[in-house]
Amino acid sequence: MFNQIFESVWGQANALFYPFRRRRYMDVVVVLAGLSILFGLVTLGRQWTGIHRPVVEINLSPWALPKYTFFSMMRGLAAYAISLGFTLVYAFWAAKDSRAEKLLIPILDILQSIPVLGFMPGLVLALVGLFPHSNLGLELAAVIMIFTGQAWNMTFSLYHSFKSVPLEFQEAGTVYGFTWWQRLKWIELPFGTTGLVWNSMMSMAGGWFFLMITEAFQLGDQDFRLPGLGSYMSVAVEKANMPAMLWAILAMVTMIVFLDQVLWRPIVVLAQRFRIEDTSQGDAPRSWLLRLLRRSRLIRLWEARRVHRKHAPPPAAPKKKAASGGLKGQALFRWLANLALAALAGVIVWGAVALVLFLGAITRGTWFTLAKAGGLTLSRVLISTVIGTLWAVPAGLAIGLSDRLSRIFQPVVQVAASFPAPMLFPMVILVLAKFGIGLNYGCILLMLLGTQWYILFNVIAGAMAIPGDMKEAATSFHFSRWQRLKVLYLPASFPYLVTGWVTAAGGAWNASIVAEYYNLNGATLQTFGLGATISKAAYDRNLPMLAASCLLMSTIVVIFNRLVWKRCYKLAFTRYSLDK
Amino acid sequence: MDVKTAKADNIILELKGVQKSYDRGTGKPLRVLEDINLAIKRNEFVCLIGPSGCGKSTIMRIFAGLIAPTKGQVFFHGKATEGLLDNVAIVFQAFALYPWMTVEANVENVLKAKGLDRNDIKERTNHAIQMVGLEGFEEAYPRELSGGMKQRVGMARALSVDPEVLFMDEPFSSVDALTAEGLRAEVLDIWDDTGRNPSSVLMVSHDIPEVVFMADRIVVLSANPGRIRTIVENPLPRPRDPRSPEFLRLVDELHDIITSTELPDIQVTTVEPSVESDIVEPLPNGQYADMLGLLELLEARGGASDLFQVVAHTHVAFEKVLTTVKGLEMLELVETPKRMVQLTPLGLEFVQAGMDDRKVIWRKQLLELKLFRVVKQLLDLREGELSREEVIQEISGRLPMEDPELTFETIVAWGRFGELFAYHKHRGVLTFE
Repeated sequence: MFNQIFESVWGQANALFYPFRRRRYMDVVVVLAGLSILFGLVTLGRQWTGIHRPVVEINLSPWALPKYTFFSMMRGLAAYAISLGFTLVYAFWAAKDSRAEKLLIPILDILQSIPVLGFMPGLVLALVGLFPHSNLGLELAAVIMIFTGQAWNMTFSLYHSFKSVPLEFQEAGTVYGFTWWQRLKWIELPFGTTGLVWNSMMSMAGGWFFLMITEAFQLGDQDFRLPGLGSYMSVAVEKANMPAMLWAILAMVTMIVFLDQVLWRPIVVLAQRFRIEDTSQGDAPRSWLLRLLRRSRLIRLWEARRVHRKHAPPPAAPKKKAASGGLKGQALFRWLANLALAALAGVIVWGAVALVLFLGAITRGTWFTLAKAGGLTLSRVLISTVIGTLWAVPAGLAIGLSDRLSRIFQPVVQVAASFPAPMLFPMVILVLAKFGIGLNYGCILLMLLGTQWYILFNVIAGAMAIPGDMKEAATSFHFSRWQRLKVLYLPASFPYLVTGWVTAAGGAWNASIVAEYYNLNGATLQTFGLGATISKAAYDRNLPMLAASCLLMSTIVVIFNRLVWKRCYKLAFTRYSLDK
Repeated sequence: MDVKTAKADNIILELKGVQKSYDRGTGKPLRVLEDINLAIKRNEFVCLIGPSGCGKSTIMRIFAGLIAPTKGQVFFHGKATEGLLDNVAIVFQAFALYPWMTVEANVENVLKAKGLDRNDIKERTNHAIQMVGLEGFEEAYPRELSGGMKQRVGMARALSVDPEVLFMDEPFSSVDALTAEGLRAEVLDIWDDTGRNPSSVLMVSHDIPEVVFMADRIVVLSANPGRIRTIVENPLPRPRDPRSPEFLRLVDELHDIITSTELPDIQVTTVEPSVESDIVEPLPNGQYADMLGLLELLEARGGASDLFQVVAHTHVAFEKVLTTVKGLEMLELVETPKRMVQLTPLGLEFVQAGMDDRKVIWRKQLLELKLFRVVKQLLDLREGELSREEVIQEISGRLPMEDPELTFETIVAWGRFGELFAYHKHRGVLTFE
């Protein structure tokens, strides 16, 4: 990600570190890192099991920020762990059980389109009720809300990988009698790893989007707040404390860069093993951390032991009977899967009935108003996507086609895309207010703030992927700039642009919830729209209204996906694909 | 060896009355194999060879138990079996190695799946790796290896399970020619050791000298649906010399068998009936670029050539050359007396013509074919816009033994070259050019 920058900084810093490297001071660093993680976890444990205080006073001093940032990061990581577990089970089930698949995949499609806020009141009330005497309920609610922002596209990615394992890989597995577990471990999971890692990074970024809301929110007259970066920002915004806002933004950027360098970069490097293309690629990703860690004697010792264990004459294990009880085990599995499927179907029916009863409270007039709000928000989403496209496509092509610019800007754009845009909203709103622009049009700009990066980022990737010979051909034919754009650059980057659009529009829908309804300096700024309706319903604890507006939003999103984005994808992969 | 006198316990695996068909969704099931009876005896090297679409890989997979036959039975040592054989091993055409595992792990995991204990796994892995000469490569990943070395890993993996019959699915076709030479000899060496498994080998191939070099029995198949045409015993003493007259004679014999079944000389020419019958000829899936290339080649060689000299000269698999020749023959641009392929006067005219005239001839010849006339009539009926589904429906009705999608592709490709039809892939419709 930010590797190029870090590599160059690292290169210069390397000289400084030279004596340390020689004396293997890395061991000390490894031990210290281990101790600090332990300390962090103990603090976290104390916070989690601490006595329940509904409103935590947030200290706006910048010195309090590291602790808050650490808490928020751990929530994000805990949510990610849950997302990963969910993904493994759900994707495996959907890929292996063709009957369940018919139900599971549409459900996932719908879940993906429900805004996070739609889950909030129910979750919070239920979990706080479950743990009335400690912070555990509230913490869990926050973690699960982050989870709902992370899990779905990871699950889709893994499911698609499971379904597209090459036939010969499967046949070899069958011929050599792999059990389902061995297939999963040796074929299916490794095959899905590359996609899963990539989507994990995206998901983690997406999980931060609602951080301000997940850590600090009102439900009717109840005020819930957890110590964390998001609530720090919320309080700073409420009090219009500009320095604190800037500190929070800095802390967020630091956390994103930290996670990228310390967590994702090493994982990406380790996942290189699971690439499918047979050729070794020239520009392999690198991780300074991994390189550093390998210098540590402790780590080496551990690795050596592992290898040793692998090669040592092993104790004679009792001979396993091949495929013993296979049939019986399978029948049991079958039975359990059926049971789970039946339970799921039951929950869906129950949920649908409950929803219908719930929605009975909504009058026809309200539905009409909601539909108008939906239309308005849809047009805002589309306008923001169009504006984003208009500037991001030329900019993305310019960056992606130049080696120098892409080296500089790609990491920057990636940080920008991972940054939760709602944290920037207050500043933009203040600027807009100066120019006398209300939230009605202003919220388009706010949405744009969160979504344009996805378009830019994908177009850069698309432009970088245009094969050199095609560019050479365009040069040799003396194509004008405009011809090149029309004949080569736009078509070749179109598949990437579509991915950018889909992500951007999804992000814009989410952003509408925050952008159309914002609490700033004690006042509530709002404009008419579906996002504002959802926010307001959540804050007023008007559950039927919340259900109705979320239902409408996911319906619009699902229909729009089916009618527009699916066709764009089809076009991109049939006509504009560069493979074959 | 006489099949009838062979004792029953001398037979390891046997297919009796095997038929295989695939459900194509709506229409009638597509039959790919018909009445296959074949036995693999102890210490025997059997090769399957035949034109494309003859189902040779399917037969191998039915033997292995990977695919269940629609009708008929598989017998293992005289007992009817169903499902995967014990200790079955296949060497795959595209290797099917797991790229995230080292060479050693690729072999070891197969043995782990069998539930062997650790010492045994270690021992067998080392032995298998040593058998194919991969020592020193244990910790390498498949992507670091060349095609030939990858296939060695595939062989080590297969041999490690100690299979009684080793199945090989065109094992040398993804390997360059020089490496293939070496691998063939090594496979024979490994098989030749009668004291040890694999006792027998069943190999699918598309290379005639290769099967003559390796096989004891050569099973020649014909296509649509796949049938056993004949089984040729190969009595040549081993080691075999590919340049010896006996070897060349056998290669020649196989050439004759294949040309006589695939390109028969006695064409059944019926008198044109007054009412056109519903019967259409199946369309070979020849690529027009190959067809043009073959015509140019023939012209350069004075208008005629031996079919298998073309194969040897171009290094193209004979199935592909056969398909190309069949396509040209259908368009009456070449004739095939015995094993010769020669230009017809029209073919000569075509080759010597410019691109525009070529297209005129091509178009005229296409419309001589019933299938193209049918599609054209349908297109007229639908006022110049015909959906892909409708054409496929029509094809599967008229050619129940053919893969309708493949035939449709050929119609589109040939029709496009003749500027007869245009096909719009996104909308899935055929129109006039």
